[in-house]
Amino acid sequence: MSDHLVAQRRPGESTTASYAVEAEGLVKQYKSRSGTVDAVRGVDLRVATGEVFGFLGPNGAGKSTTVRMLTTLLSITAGTARVAGVDVAADPDRARRSMGVALQEAGLDVRQTGRELLVLQARLFGFAAKAAADRAAELLTLVGLDDAADRRIKGYSGGMKRRLDLASALVHEPEVLFLDEPTTGLDPASRLTVWDEVRRINRNGTTVFLTTQYLEEADQLCDRLAIIDGGLIVREGTPQRLKDELRDRLGLDAGPTLDEVFLDATGRTRTKAAGDVQEVSA
Amino acid sequence: MSTLVGTGALGQRALREAWRTPEALFPTLFIPLFFLVVNVGQAGKIFPSDSTDFLQGQGYAAFQLPATLLLAASFGGSAMFLVEDIEGGYFDKLRAAPVSRTSIVLGRLYAEAVKGAGIAALVVLLSLPFDVRVATGVGGFLLLIVLTAIWSVAFSAFLQLVALRTRSAAATQSGSMLFFPLLFLTPNFVPRDLLTRPMEIAATLNPVTYVMEGMRALVLDDGWAKVGIGFAVAAVICAAMVALNVRTIRNYD
Repeated sequence: MSDHLVAQRRPGESTTASYAVEAEGLVKQYKSRSGTVDAVRGVDLRVATGEVFGFLGPNGAGKSTTVRMLTTLLSITAGTARVAGVDVAADPDRARRSMGVALQEAGLDVRQTGRELLVLQARLFGFAAKAAADRAAELLTLVGLDDAADRRIKGYSGGMKRRLDLASALVHEPEVLFLDEPTTGLDPASRLTVWDEVRRINRNGTTVFLTTQYLEEADQLCDRLAIIDGGLIVREGTPQRLKDELRDRLGLDAGPTLDEVFLDATGRTRTKAAGDVQEVSA
Repeated sequence: MSTLVGTGALGQRALREAWRTPEALFPTLFIPLFFLVVNVGQAGKIFPSDSTDFLQGQGYAAFQLPATLLLAASFGGSAMFLVEDIEGGYFDKLRAAPVSRTSIVLGRLYAEAVKGAGIAALVVLLSLPFDVRVATGVGGFLLLIVLTAIWSVAFSAFLQLVALRTRSAAATQSGSMLFFPLLFLTPNFVPRDLLTRPMEIAATLNPVTYVMEGMRALVLDDGWAKVGIGFAVAAVICAAMVALNVRTIRNYD
């Protein structure tokens, strides 16, 4: 795959926002038959421009709900969120132009070909027909899907679908890329390919907001991370700082792993976590 | 991006989708034609054209054609594809793009209108061997196609509404069953004045009756007033369903 994959920001287009992602007091409540459910209970986040930011948490902690609020897919009960300096609730369309979104399950229309999907995505972001076709061809080359470009997506492997999903999130050269569990379900080789792509995307100036179930992935890719549990941020910092803090606090001889930081932050033990947290069950 | 351009782009995608799933189109054509053949075969001799006033000189197949068209226009396949989009995550991909929410629902409905018109034209052509003629001529034929397309959009919009609210394939499929009571509580075998009193009341309260009578008026040349009422009823239902779709997708969480 080419080294050029991704969003090359045009001169003068870089964001002037001090933070690529900024959330204050973010709350999401759902009404259910049994009452009100607090999915997110007041999240404060600041992601600097150019960072790869990891967002971790056990299942049901509020990760995806937070990402869906930040990406305009879910209404915000209380608090504010800005992406690339744009308030996502007040001006969602402008915010959407600044962000690329690749959600948990590669959101693809399997009856289309890879080329058709990218052309449509470009058209939805305002490209004229010819420009959309050119951008689709460029991205297909960049993600190494030239040969499969005119085949229906239904026949793609999991790794190919994930690369196409990534390409579709980059079609408009976003300032911030949200990746929700981008490697879940992929084989190890495909996972490494996606990691390489994330690094390349970030090198070209795109801020990456990554949620993941895999702590190794967070350790490898993220400049900084936050751990959410029960709808609240319970740890935030660089992976090394979080490990150092745990080592100092518990007086450990050896440096802890990110797994141990995660377990400590979420109040879980390995035995308890084995049942409900996939990433620490090995 | 304007709503119109977005609707066009998403409509083309929905048409490609329909073209690539002939297994979904086949029943839309086959089942209504099957009913046409069976109904005409069973009741055709009871209503000979030369002694049945309400046939206006045509065969019973001409009287049955509107029911066939309405059935063909009421499969609402777009709603099932919409549920697939929702369940597979592509719907969120569309919602994350700076495209008007209205375009997302109108794109599919635009494709339904094109499909509805195409299927209506095909059904009329396939009914020609049954001695069916559109008595109001080429203009009447075109109006028949347009009325079928409007109904197709109205019913698809109703099913899309079910899909958007429930996000469930099972519920959406159940919603499509609603058309059967609506279709059969109509004057589909004989005119309204020949129905029993309870059936006549039910048919009078059923809006599909007026669409059917409008279509029938075009086929049998049975008065333009009925055509006008048919168009008005179909248009009002269509507008109401589209408005509810737009409201629902704007508040979709």
